[in-house]
Amino acid sequence: MYQVNPQNTDKSLAMSLLDDKTRATIDTWLAKYPYDQRRSAVIGALHAAQDQNQGWLSEEIMKAVAEYLEIPPVWVYEAASFYSMFFTQPVGKNKVAICTNISCMLRGADKVVKYAEAKLGIKLGETTADGQITLVKEEECVAACIGAPMMIINGHYHENLTEQKIDELLGGLS
Amino acid sequence: MSETTNQVADNTITIEIDGQAVQVEKGSMIIEAADKQGIKIPRFCYHKKLSIAANCRMCMVDVEKAPKPLPACATPVMDGMKVYTKSKRATDAQRNVMEFLLINHPLDCPICDQGGECELQDVSMGYGRDVSRYVDSKRVVKDEDLGSLIATDMTRCILCTRCVRFLNEIAGTDELGGIGRGDRTNISTAVGNSVKSEMSGNVIDLCPVGALTNKPFRYKARAWELMATSAISMHDGIGSNLFYHTRNGDILRTVPQDNDTINEAWLADRDRYGVHGLKAADRVTEPMIKENGQWRNISWEDALATLVDQFKKYDGNDIALYASNHASTEEYHLLKQLFSHLGSNQHEHRIDVTDFSVADRLPRVDVKLADVSKQQKVIIVGGHIRHEQPILNHKIRQAWLAGAEVSSFGPVAFEQTFDLLHDFVGHQVNWVNQLASLAKSVAEITKEFPAGALGEWVKAQKTDEDINHLAKQLLKPETKALFVLGQVSQSHPQANTIKAITAWLAQVTTGQVNEVLAGANYAGAYLSGLHCDQDIKQNEHRMNVVYQAELQDFADQASIKNSLTNSDFSVVFNAFCDEDLKSRVDLILPIALIPELTGTLINNYGDHQITTVAQKAPGSTKPGWRVLRVLGNLMGYGDFEYDDINDVIAVTEKLAWHDAVIHQDVEPVEIEVKGLVLYPHRSIYDTDCLTRRSAPLQNSPLASSDSVYVNQQDLPSIGFNAGDLVSVEQDGRYAEVTLVVSDEVPEGSAMVNLGRQSVLNLDSSNLNVSIIGAQS
Repeated sequence: MYQVNPQNTDKSLAMSLLDDKTRATIDTWLAKYPYDQRRSAVIGALHAAQDQNQGWLSEEIMKAVAEYLEIPPVWVYEAASFYSMFFTQPVGKNKVAICTNISCMLRGADKVVKYAEAKLGIKLGETTADGQITLVKEEECVAACIGAPMMIINGHYHENLTEQKIDELLGGLS
Repeated sequence: MSETTNQVADNTITIEIDGQAVQVEKGSMIIEAADKQGIKIPRFCYHKKLSIAANCRMCMVDVEKAPKPLPACATPVMDGMKVYTKSKRATDAQRNVMEFLLINHPLDCPICDQGGECELQDVSMGYGRDVSRYVDSKRVVKDEDLGSLIATDMTRCILCTRCVRFLNEIAGTDELGGIGRGDRTNISTAVGNSVKSEMSGNVIDLCPVGALTNKPFRYKARAWELMATSAISMHDGIGSNLFYHTRNGDILRTVPQDNDTINEAWLADRDRYGVHGLKAADRVTEPMIKENGQWRNISWEDALATLVDQFKKYDGNDIALYASNHASTEEYHLLKQLFSHLGSNQHEHRIDVTDFSVADRLPRVDVKLADVSKQQKVIIVGGHIRHEQPILNHKIRQAWLAGAEVSSFGPVAFEQTFDLLHDFVGHQVNWVNQLASLAKSVAEITKEFPAGALGEWVKAQKTDEDINHLAKQLLKPETKALFVLGQVSQSHPQANTIKAITAWLAQVTTGQVNEVLAGANYAGAYLSGLHCDQDIKQNEHRMNVVYQAELQDFADQASIKNSLTNSDFSVVFNAFCDEDLKSRVDLILPIALIPELTGTLINNYGDHQITTVAQKAPGSTKPGWRVLRVLGNLMGYGDFEYDDINDVIAVTEKLAWHDAVIHQDVEPVEIEVKGLVLYPHRSIYDTDCLTRRSAPLQNSPLASSDSVYVNQQDLPSIGFNAGDLVSVEQDGRYAEVTLVVSDEVPEGSAMVNLGRQSVLNLDSSNLNVSIIGAQS
């Protein structure tokens, strides 16, 4: 079991970087856990911070989250670097994540990736020149195998993908 | 059968490992039972002093009736359990794990510092395949600069997370983490910080591979070329047990030696890297004499003959001795013998003390070091224990982790590795008043004040809500607090008042007191009798003897400089001599430091420990006891007939520890300060001649700087800005330093780093300073 060690109590960075809405969201997450397990609020807090910061997490804003949660900054970096839904580099306005895990792969996910890459003129992990769309580098199984192949656009699931459906979906974004 | 035996019986169960019956405690893990029995199970992530992670999967064993192999480190024992560590299922599992661990591990053992003492290398000899089946490319991890103490080769990391867990659980600093996911995970600070813990070097010992290695030792030697010498650290009163590793008679590195009652498996960075100061440029290697202002080397014969002449010139009490607290007891004993013959009682080892109103004594230690971690309530009185005795701080942290409450009184809001329930911070006069307020609050509840002048002084204080809160807590019948008197108290001009109040508080609240004194062998020097009932530097002496001490080791540096300058003759027995000291003395005799001699150190807690010579001292340097013995003979004293060090140890081993009493009949002195109140801080790497010269320590983030630290609130009245070069003025003397603004320093306080050359003009006993413009 990890220890929660004494933390810097100065919250000036958190107060200046995190807006009222983000802090309110983090507060609702913090309220769900006992104080000595406040580390558990990190994922909810990172979502809120990422939404506030044009869809990505800068080093500064991660530090601010750590300050606000009163946990070591490295715990925030660990969580942010672990999950594929957090972005530590600037991203486009829309995030398109194509599942390439086993069920989707068997149902043609590789073709979906190729088609999307060709259509947008970018590779996985890159952002279109107009800054509208980022193809997420890697998305593992999100438990939607029943509708494979699938993709997630800005958090919403789109299943049973066909070329036509991809055209519609991606076309609606720009 | 008594109740206790019943309990023991209830707590123990019997399991069988490889056919051997083992009695183990309920709830312990298979690996602990196997270790107890001496049955080897390979492991990387498990460490007896750290939490269980079970992430390396190397310790797989075969348990009867279990459907698959189980990790021995994370499987609790059950009555009648049958474990097989060498069965086919167990060894197959271990071989498979080994193969996975080696997939990404580079085959750079020939250029790896860990080679020859590598757990991965050892285990792969036993379990690894001769030829790798893996044909894809191996991962590469970018290295990070973790500072001057730890070298990194993160590509070698097998992600056991021992270092992460050590920093989280033991050091309490959380600087490393596992960044990324899956095969791309790497251990990193993520943002390129260096590791700042005062115990950071332990991750080197914990790392089972060559990912984290000793930076100053890098590429210096192979493990099998090294000879280990068992020794005791000379940097603090803990007396950490360690091994010096030497090759061809040169100390190349230091590693801890397990001692569960003292340093457990750990070593503070100061004890690990202090030895790198041994070869500093200002090491004295030949006896030297100053003639007409010029230094020249002379032979030991001539040097000692000169010294004998000088000793014979003066009356006993015309000769003064100042000795530091990091020499061996044998040296102190011979010094005392010498001074008894000379007829001088002007000998003092309390060179970092400023209050001489009470006679010298042993430190009061009510709680053994190993039991500090069992305390429920700890009150730190004037101390930054983390920097004074890092291992003691570790024990206080262990107590805090187990639920103890810690409160502190002191001149700085020091960064701690535990939460403080109360942190009473004030400048050097103010925090002592707050401590007296606590006594008043306790006295008002119990209706009993301290006797005499102390009681009157306590009555004159004001109390507040926080103080009353602590007082009420201390008076609860179930509370048995441990008051830890730190070195800030020891060096304070009101030291004896602080100690008296603390002793009274402990007495009325059924508490206990532990005193933390500076130096590795304070007790040895005291028991040998090297103390005087006055402040000897107030007396005029015609001759001075300085023993293993530099100006920076004194609390009153300006005064001692005067004493040395104003005498007829001064001799220094030292390993080093910088220009500041050289210009004020006439004869320098090079003597060996603790790593270069055999002798006894008596630690803060009363343990006599023998340290043995690990490397020969350079040039004509001699162990101090040998020089003193010859000196005794040359003086014609009959009782210096020691054949070797064992003859002296035979005398010093009889020096018996006794319980110390803190005197409460003191006369408190109200200190009046007009300007800022000086706080001379002894920083962690400014404690002795070796740490001051150890480049790895001085380049680390915890090293001190030539600065004066003040609170933001005081800036307008000071009239300078942060970053300005200013002078700290005391009694017409100046110390030039950089002005730094710090929240940790309270209003009205000016903190400087004692032990640095820049503040040699300041006395610790005089709290009155002001900050004025730079004089140069």
